[in-house]
Amino acid sequence: MKKILSIIFMGVAAFTMTSCFNDFDDADTSNFSVTATSIGEPNTTIYDIKNMYCSNSTKAGTNVNSSNFWSLISEDLIFEGVVVGNDISGNLYQQVYLRDFGTGGKAEGKTDQCIQLGIKNPCLHPYFRLGQKVRVNLKGLYVGVYSKTPKVGTPYFTSSGNNRLGPMLFDLLKTNVQLIGEPDPNAPELVPMDKTTATGLNWIKANSNQTWENSPILATVEGKIKEVQGGAAKAAEAGTQDSWNGVYESIITYYENGEKCYSKMYAPECLRDAGYAVDRTIQCSNGSTVTLRTGTGNDISFLTIPKDSRKYTGIMSYYSGWQMQLRDTKDIYPQIDPKLGTDSDENK
Amino acid sequence: MSKGVFLVASALAFAMQASAQAPVDSLVVDNADFTFTESQLDEDNDASQSVSSITSKKDPYLSEVGYAFSAVRFRVRGYDNMYSNSYLNGVMMNDLEQGRFSYSIIGGMNDAVRNKEGVSQMDYNMFGVTGIGGGDNVNMRAGQFAAGNKLALSGCNRNYTVRAMFTKATGFNKNGWAFAGSMGYRWADYKTAYIAGTFYNSFSYFLAAEKRFNEQHSLNLSTFGAPTERAQQSAATEEAYYLANSHYYNSYWGYQNGKVRNSRVVHDFQPTAILTWDYKPDNQRKLTTSAAFKYSMYSSSALSWGGNAYDPRPDYYKNLPSSIFNVYNKDKNNSEYLGTNAFLLDQFNYLTDYWQTEENRQVKWDQLYYVNKQNSLYGTGESLYYVERRHNDQMVFALNSAWNHTLNNRHKYGTGLELNHTVGKHYKTMDDLLGGATFTDVDKYAATDYGDYSKEAQNDLNNPNRQIKQGDIFGYNYNILVNKAKAWGQYQYTAKHFTFNGQAHIDGTTISRDGKMRNGRYEHNSYGHEGSEDGTTAKFLGGGIKGQFVYSPTRNHSLNLGVSISSNAPLARNAFVAPREQNNFVDNLTNEDILSGELGYTFTFGKFTGKVDGYYTMFRHGVEQTAFYNDQQERFTYLTMTNVEKRHYGVEAALSYAPDSHWTINLVGTYGDASYTNNPYAQVNYDGMDGATNEKLNALTNPVTGKSEQLQVIADGMKVGSTPLTAVMLGVKYNINYWFFEVDAKYYDRVYCGFSQYRRMTNVLKTYAPSSFDADGNLVYDVTQTELEENGGVLFNADGTFNKAYSPKQEKFDGGFMLDASIGKSLRLKRGKTLSINLQLQNLLNNTNFRTGGYEQNRDDFYNTGEEKAYQFSKNSKYYYANGFNFFLNIGFKF
Repeated sequence: MKKILSIIFMGVAAFTMTSCFNDFDDADTSNFSVTATSIGEPNTTIYDIKNMYCSNSTKAGTNVNSSNFWSLISEDLIFEGVVVGNDISGNLYQQVYLRDFGTGGKAEGKTDQCIQLGIKNPCLHPYFRLGQKVRVNLKGLYVGVYSKTPKVGTPYFTSSGNNRLGPMLFDLLKTNVQLIGEPDPNAPELVPMDKTTATGLNWIKANSNQTWENSPILATVEGKIKEVQGGAAKAAEAGTQDSWNGVYESIITYYENGEKCYSKMYAPECLRDAGYAVDRTIQCSNGSTVTLRTGTGNDISFLTIPKDSRKYTGIMSYYSGWQMQLRDTKDIYPQIDPKLGTDSDENK
Repeated sequence: MSKGVFLVASALAFAMQASAQAPVDSLVVDNADFTFTESQLDEDNDASQSVSSITSKKDPYLSEVGYAFSAVRFRVRGYDNMYSNSYLNGVMMNDLEQGRFSYSIIGGMNDAVRNKEGVSQMDYNMFGVTGIGGGDNVNMRAGQFAAGNKLALSGCNRNYTVRAMFTKATGFNKNGWAFAGSMGYRWADYKTAYIAGTFYNSFSYFLAAEKRFNEQHSLNLSTFGAPTERAQQSAATEEAYYLANSHYYNSYWGYQNGKVRNSRVVHDFQPTAILTWDYKPDNQRKLTTSAAFKYSMYSSSALSWGGNAYDPRPDYYKNLPSSIFNVYNKDKNNSEYLGTNAFLLDQFNYLTDYWQTEENRQVKWDQLYYVNKQNSLYGTGESLYYVERRHNDQMVFALNSAWNHTLNNRHKYGTGLELNHTVGKHYKTMDDLLGGATFTDVDKYAATDYGDYSKEAQNDLNNPNRQIKQGDIFGYNYNILVNKAKAWGQYQYTAKHFTFNGQAHIDGTTISRDGKMRNGRYEHNSYGHEGSEDGTTAKFLGGGIKGQFVYSPTRNHSLNLGVSISSNAPLARNAFVAPREQNNFVDNLTNEDILSGELGYTFTFGKFTGKVDGYYTMFRHGVEQTAFYNDQQERFTYLTMTNVEKRHYGVEAALSYAPDSHWTINLVGTYGDASYTNNPYAQVNYDGMDGATNEKLNALTNPVTGKSEQLQVIADGMKVGSTPLTAVMLGVKYNINYWFFEVDAKYYDRVYCGFSQYRRMTNVLKTYAPSSFDADGNLVYDVTQTELEENGGVLFNADGTFNKAYSPKQEKFDGGFMLDASIGKSLRLKRGKTLSINLQLQNLLNNTNFRTGGYEQNRDDFYNTGEEKAYQFSKNSKYYYANGFNFFLNIGFKF
């Protein structure tokens, strides 16, 4: 009997020693996808979609005002685009930007169009890498404009109670979005429109270009940030001292000829507006300006603004004037080292 | 775990070698296999709920309620378990940091802890002065075990499904040695556990050796532990339960490669050794001295995330249909509004359907791996999702010595000393990077506030930007040191018709923190002992006295009156503003004062026996801390209340009617109240924010004067939650020819939801300045009385002085019935062997709708703009439900 018991209990002991309920191999993600495997063939283009649903508020199913309107799509309208903007730095929020060159649509020749795809998830870049070709079936989705920017998504109510075109449910990717092939980091769509040349500068200056056809775009502009020029460069900004309460002074303050001066960051929390973002002004060489809008709390927001002229590449749209949102810290050139707040070695 | 296995194997080997001695000489029903401790031994150290702890065989009420009401997490008088004291071989084993006794230390060793003396708070006893919740002392000396072997095999559908226990004791041999050993195993896997997605894997061992040198001296060494690995169960909102179509929905698990994986897995092992010297110079005097050493290793894993990653919890509110529009607002939840805004109903319905797929309502492990791999290859490189393991290890050295002397039939006294040195070690390690390649040790909240490369983002400035691999410590790492010395004495005088006993104690406690990391937000008061604003060590002097008078005019009737007053040091777990980050103590850290009184009547009328007690207890200057993930601020938050006042009072009764030797009818019940009676001071600390910012958030801005005022929690009138304040049981027992039958009907009511202190802070509640005066000159506010009573608010007078505060309404759960039954049979076999079989059926009516507890979410219902959020956090508390029908079959064999 004793022997039997010994065997039983030793067996139990051995079982316990070897058994572990929570040892797992890494998940096999080789076939993992959050999107559909097939949603049909493209039958329209971004241009056609924008032309139909983003150009005229009076034709929209819901018309809040001329800057915010949208329509529910009830047919299989399928278009393609390449991801040219995502939330890799956290500056773009719940949105990716798709761009195509207009081939295959009804309006052949209306090239180079972008549209915003709103998706309810703050971390889209693992699914939508730059250069990824994406196919979208609009059936069941809404197309219109959010603050004049053409967009695909779903309506929602903002924290101020306003009805706007917002992001679609993430799970709708399973039925409405398909990834085509692998991302191509060298895709031609990733080359921004150059607005640093004389032609580009004139294009920015001309208000007539502020149309739905030219918004959004992936573009590069060049200029100095107004808030760090002249006397403004050394002065504390409203809220700076209050918000940081001196703790951050070692980072933002410097002395010039014994005079205490304040560095500026792109988007300090203390300056944020209701949209949790800060506007800076890029002054181009021809006098035209582009608002650089940066969200707080992301990689770009803590960079110290250089006084000199830089190239800024990002998603440009317009409301009352041109506005740009950077995708990444690398969208500032020459780059700023986020650790040092000064120019990156990569520029050298 | 490996240490535990080694010790288990040692205990097993010893138990096998020892030989059986004296046969069991009596046939007893081993209902103790089902004692309430079965519930306690499954306790989770970090559970928000805990069951009643103390039983007293002398008290007909306490002897019943602990087990009878354990299914609904009943706590005697609504007291926290920290007010009860548990002794093992005379050593007080309550955890000095948490205050509570950890039942998992003796999990699965029912036979080893069966010999227990339980006392109520006023009882004279041999081991020490207990708290207001009473106390018990388990005798685990080898010599107290009856010689023989016992094998118990159990099957059930509870936390575990299989249990096996084997106990062997030798009794004293001719050389004065006695040995005892016990080992057990409890097991359930994902398929068999009552709650989906959980498992249970636990060994337990107990080993004791006692040497009786002579009639005066004996020495005993007991060592025990229960290495355990088990998965946890979540609470959920009623909406989530509804969508999952089960009150046992568990959001902690999901599928990985098609296999179930739980994100919350506890590892618990608390090896303990107690050396006891008994000195008994004569029958009237006894000195018991015990030294205990415990090194507990407790950790629990949790899914965590950084960067901009989407909250991976499947029941995250944004995944729920009610996040689309306010379903509680009649202005929105109507056909006209939803017809106009059809997109709301479309999304609501979409998410409702989404929840019908099991995969969608559980953790999507594969997706987390995918995101990490993508981010490693093409993004920032960091693991966005990971599993962290939060460790709460503890090293304890305790020494107790108790001297008891019976002077004569009338006088006896006892005195003793208790010393305890505890080092709590708190840190977290990387359990699993979930396919990710790298992880940098920075605070994600501070990185958002100050930037990834700021000093503030660093968790350890002594090792900035440290790259974390699996098993590495990161985030926080600190020790809490607690020393306590207590001297006590008690005296009892017994006369013909009355008994008096008095007890007194004095104690001293020191508390300090020893940081192992230099936190970037608290550079100068986080590392080592440095920088605490209040000095590096907090010292507290406590004490108390008790007195009980029992008047017994006849053998069948007695009246007892007891009063106690005590002043107790705050718990170390509540003492620091934010122990993960800094050394500072909370403001207003003082002793808690307790005044308690009880009046009881014990009687026997023929075949009726019973007891009725009334009690009243006041708490003053208490300190309570909650630590939680704050959805409002989106960061881990500590909230400490000081100057807490509470009042517990009520009636307890137990009545037993035994018409003959076969039948017994029991009626046991209580009706009580346990409420907060003031608005305590509040101190809040948000992880990731520096001291200056936190200081600003620790004030209320007076809406009239604009000045900053002391932050408070509007807690006045709130009930202590997660225990029934009304509980009644009617039970019938019948035994004949060693058959035993029992049926118990139970009714519970007045269980309250644990209230969110955060939602009741004065700077979270709406504040109101008077808008005008009415015709009678009374102040008029822009809020209705109904709104105040429902949502709370703070009213100020026209001169800015405080007028009145309303706390948001606290939810009371519906009451409910439960029916339990058990049947047992004992058989006497040849050569003194016995076999007992017992089947317990709990919740026969399968009441799956009885809430045992829950808590409000720490978030309010409005944006900063004043606009109402779609998701109403105030109406979506999270709940726990009592298990539906379940059984426990036990077969015991003594040989």
